[in-house]
Amino acid sequence: MSQKITAFLKKSIMAYEKLLQSPIRGFLLDISGVLKDGSQPIPGSVEAVKSLQSAKIPFRLVTNETSRPVNKILSTLNMLGYEVTEEDLISPVPAVVKILKNDNLRPFLLIHPEVIPDFGDIDTSNPNCVVMGDAAECFQYNFLNECFRQLMGMENPILFSLGQGKYFRDEDGLALDVGPFCKAIEYATGVKATVVGKPSPQYFLDAVCDLKLQPNEVVMIGDDIVSDVGGAQNCGLRGVLVRTGKYMRDRDEPHESVVPDGIVDNLQEAVNLILKHKS
Amino acid sequence: MACRSTLKSVLIDLSGTLHIENEVTPNAVEALKRLRSTNLKIKFVTNTTKESRRILHERLTKLGFEIKQEEIFTSLWAARDLVKSESLRPLYFLEDAAMEDFEGLKFEDNPNAVVIGLAPDKFNWNNLTTAFRLLLDGAKLIAIHAARYYKAPDGLSLGPGPFVKALEYASGTKASIVGKPSANFFRAALDETEPTEAVMIGDDVKDDVHGAQALGIKGYLVKTGKYRDSDENKIDPAPYRTVNNFSEAVDDIVSSLKKDS
Repeated sequence: MSQKITAFLKKSIMAYEKLLQSPIRGFLLDISGVLKDGSQPIPGSVEAVKSLQSAKIPFRLVTNETSRPVNKILSTLNMLGYEVTEEDLISPVPAVVKILKNDNLRPFLLIHPEVIPDFGDIDTSNPNCVVMGDAAECFQYNFLNECFRQLMGMENPILFSLGQGKYFRDEDGLALDVGPFCKAIEYATGVKATVVGKPSPQYFLDAVCDLKLQPNEVVMIGDDIVSDVGGAQNCGLRGVLVRTGKYMRDRDEPHESVVPDGIVDNLQEAVNLILKHKS
Repeated sequence: MACRSTLKSVLIDLSGTLHIENEVTPNAVEALKRLRSTNLKIKFVTNTTKESRRILHERLTKLGFEIKQEEIFTSLWAARDLVKSESLRPLYFLEDAAMEDFEGLKFEDNPNAVVIGLAPDKFNWNNLTTAFRLLLDGAKLIAIHAARYYKAPDGLSLGPGPFVKALEYASGTKASIVGKPSANFFRAALDETEPTEAVMIGDDVKDDVHGAQALGIKGYLVKTGKYRDSDENKIDPAPYRTVNNFSEAVDDIVSSLKKDS
């Protein structure tokens, strides 16, 4: 074995030691890029989730996906063989609906039309805030311009962005996520967005709370080194990067600012490693 | 007094300085004639994303100004020069009227640059995702200018800036901004003249005056167009002169020439 490979293995074992040095009692799993790619399951991930379930290790699926309603996200996962329900899912729309209700806010929704039913009976007349999600093909000039005018017309403009992702892997390549459009609106209006979703600390902490655990007992596994891994680490969780989804070796290993607590080929490797260590 | 450099060139903004919509600012036509009777080189400089040089020339002629088409230097023209000199094959976010300035520089295949102007019909997720993928492959990002918004007939509307920022954020690429207030824009407009031998007259304290002064050009701020009360206090160093309108700026320039001679 060449010296380079030996050194690399040593380094990665050291990385795992750091990952495994204190007890792991629960997981947060990203969906897109970890459980599935587009409409395809990622090999080994269905089995990995099953082994967590049979070992009775609690987890939540923490997604930033807002281009499809919650029931469609779940039905896709079920179709792919994941036995998960609404209780397992943490997604930005229910989280922002809670905030809107608490603060008595009436949103202008820059949201994919399919997702509007998830906002239920929220009053959208005479808006006093804007909520933007991944509107995908509905990101058109006129829709963005309307959102801009709404904010410019508000006395105390409030802007919520459901996640802040730069891009995601679509069927035929990388595609723009909500983040760039949010930056466009921020630049035009001078209003800073409140992020609901990863990498907002509150979002991770709410998910940890939902597991009834402490941040240092939970590992987040994702394919976005900044939003998933760095975001989780910023609030005391351990963050593991998978080499699936939108992972890119050139950019992510090593990354300019984030050092994951572990890097694994896929979800199955992470789960096997941790379960083996536990037993 | 320190060594005074001779004045050789005058850069003049169009909208807000020479005219506002279809109205000429006070005595501007006559003032331009007075300026022409000096030996100073004159360039008309403007940030536009939608009007070709020919269209601007037509409008100014109709308003009574004596202007040659070659004297107009716009942000679109600066982009055209950049595309030409670097042999780029851009994907354009421009409206048809603006594309006139890019005659002979339209390419069907294999783009290696993205030019962002103002093209509401083209600013959509599909096109921006295409541009984003080109940028990831190393394409150059060129912004005609980076204005946040502009006044459209039906209200304030998003300018090119927000879409430039979106692509910069997603791709990690930094855009080259070719319009005012970029130093390259003023340099190109001056051609051979040294910045210290030129003045710029405009109504935008940041883009016209501050941008020009950053390069060493003396800035005249006119109190017409988008000028708002105490704009002259918003920049450091302050404008070289703040005057009521273009005509007064010309008076000041002409009388300073007489003093020198």
